[in-house]
Amino acid sequence: MDRKTLESAATANAYLRGLLSVPIALLLFVAALGNASVGPFRHSWVFLVVVAVLAGAYLLINRYYNDTFGRVTPSARQQSRLIVATLASVVIMIGVSTLLRSRAPWSLDLPVNSIAVAFALVLLVTFIAGGGVRLHHVAILGALAIAGLLPVWHGSDPGNIGLVMAGVAILVIGILDHILLVRTLGPLVTEDSNAGA
Amino acid sequence: MPEPDGDLILDRLIHEPGRLAILTVLSSVSDADFVFLQRTTGLTKGNLSSHLSKLEDGGLVEIVKSFVRKKPNTNVALTPVGRERIARHWEQLERLRKLAEPSS
Repeated sequence: MDRKTLESAATANAYLRGLLSVPIALLLFVAALGNASVGPFRHSWVFLVVVAVLAGAYLLINRYYNDTFGRVTPSARQQSRLIVATLASVVIMIGVSTLLRSRAPWSLDLPVNSIAVAFALVLLVTFIAGGGVRLHHVAILGALAIAGLLPVWHGSDPGNIGLVMAGVAILVIGILDHILLVRTLGPLVTEDSNAGA
Repeated sequence: MPEPDGDLILDRLIHEPGRLAILTVLSSVSDADFVFLQRTTGLTKGNLSSHLSKLEDGGLVEIVKSFVRKKPNTNVALTPVGRERIARHWEQLERLRKLAEPSS
């Protein structure tokens, strides 16, 4: 492995834990179903139970990654960048969705899907700030942003469809990230695998 | 015969490929555990253990052994000396690479 690959291994380990995106995507789907009052999801307690189950799933998946790919504490610089990215994400999420389409008096009230656009921007900022951005992130999140910006979202608030679109994007990115992580870090080398060499 | 440039003499403890890989990975993080180092360097458990012992003896890394969920966990971090020496080593390699380039 070359120097850059070795130095970026920590970033890969932190940003390519793609299966963690599965519970996050499911949370977005459940939120959309709850907002639309579909079936049992119209009860708020169902949402809370699902959140608890998904939080448990998230912790289990994180444990799998720690056990399989190891634990690493990012450098102070990387941690600072992550904090800045998180703060920027909150501003973008609230700012973009309110500016593009909301009841706020200063809103542009455009026929766009502001939730889809805001999610795309937030994720892109997070990946770029952490130094973990990959081509498929840009392609998928770019497609999500463009779909959200198309002036076809007339009528009632398309926020729920935006949540589903963001969930699908996060799910696809997560699966691709996981495949990339497995390829990047490769299988564990055992003493046996060296024996025949 | 010309005198060798003292600044270009490579640190033998660091220059071994396995140890160079370990120190390079550690230079980009705060700390990392044994499994992560094994994954990123491609070394076997035995080789990694042996290299880490040598680096610890040389004062380049600090090793903390603990238990995480009743399983042994080995955490490794660069010491300030280790951080300085790996940075210096890469600078020396870069200088050597430039010296080896044909002058135009």
